[in-house]
Amino acid sequence: MLEKFWGSGKLEKKVLEKIKDYLNTLCSATQCLKEVFTKEYIEETYCVENLEREADYLKREIISMIYEGAFLPYIRPNLCAFIEITEKAFNYLKLCAFDFRYFKLDIYKEIKEECIKVADINVEMCQILIKGFEALTKKDNLREKNLAIRIYEKKVDDIKLDISEKLRNSELAKQVNFWEGKTIAEFVDSLVSISDIIEDASDYLYILDLSLK
Amino acid sequence: MEKKVSEIMNTKLETISSDATVYDAIERLIDKRIRSLLVLPKDSKDDYGVVTVRNIIFKVLAQKLDPVKIKIGNIASKPIIAVSKDTNIEEILNLMLKNNIARVFVKNENNEIIGLVSFFDILAEILIEKAKK
Repeated sequence: MLEKFWGSGKLEKKVLEKIKDYLNTLCSATQCLKEVFTKEYIEETYCVENLEREADYLKREIISMIYEGAFLPYIRPNLCAFIEITEKAFNYLKLCAFDFRYFKLDIYKEIKEECIKVADINVEMCQILIKGFEALTKKDNLREKNLAIRIYEKKVDDIKLDISEKLRNSELAKQVNFWEGKTIAEFVDSLVSISDIIEDASDYLYILDLSLK
Repeated sequence: MEKKVSEIMNTKLETISSDATVYDAIERLIDKRIRSLLVLPKDSKDDYGVVTVRNIIFKVLAQKLDPVKIKIGNIASKPIIAVSKDTNIEEILNLMLKNNIARVFVKNENNEIIGLVSFFDILAEILIEKAKK
């Protein structure tokens, strides 16, 4: 069915492959962040930045190919918008990895368990987002992928409250200066925003699917 | 469903003493937007219990009893059904079906309650597993 709307030319196939690569890169970046949290290994944070740069390159390629003439004109902005939404997740991943470098490890240890849980959920959400994108192109059941992503996002919301509560009650966190506090706040904010963006991207796929029916 | 119960359980347990009043429990349930509270044992010989919205409605409010005067210990369901954290989800479902219960508690090696699995957690897990395929 999608071939009817999306065209089945070489360029279209190439774009779809590149989008899959782009989403796989997002998945790798979330896995990388999970490694950072688990091993508390600062050097690994640069892996997130490298993947973000790689994704940026892929994004430019995808958008150029789309405007070279892939797909029907009314589908082009929708696909570009999907890529741009997903790009925000990379920005939060990069910010989170960056803030981790300046995060005092003794304070991090107090919320380590929750951070790993969120990072793990982000990885799972990305994997489902890829399945969702495949479901869109193969006209499979996208609705159930979207629902699973929404369930995961609710879990992250709950963990976010736990992190806030732990930090508010932490004696160590009470002793930090303005800049350290700002780093902690930005770190937590970016960490819990990744799943929000993945949910937005999944919702967008779902709307795209509905609009093509 | 290959996952163990420890992977999906909710570890945020809200507890209440069996000496507290039903009204205290109602306030906690409303404030925290939850449907059950774990009732702590009075002493080392006593068991854990559970008080649910269902208990409160059928045993107190529907009987026109005053929730301020009734103690939690008088209406709590005891003993609770608890499993080890290595139990798989399939077994939990069988327990729920067999005992007609909506939640199963999870205990550690020292028999302390460390988590709770409800219908909703199982529903979420089934949907996520389905989406991953």
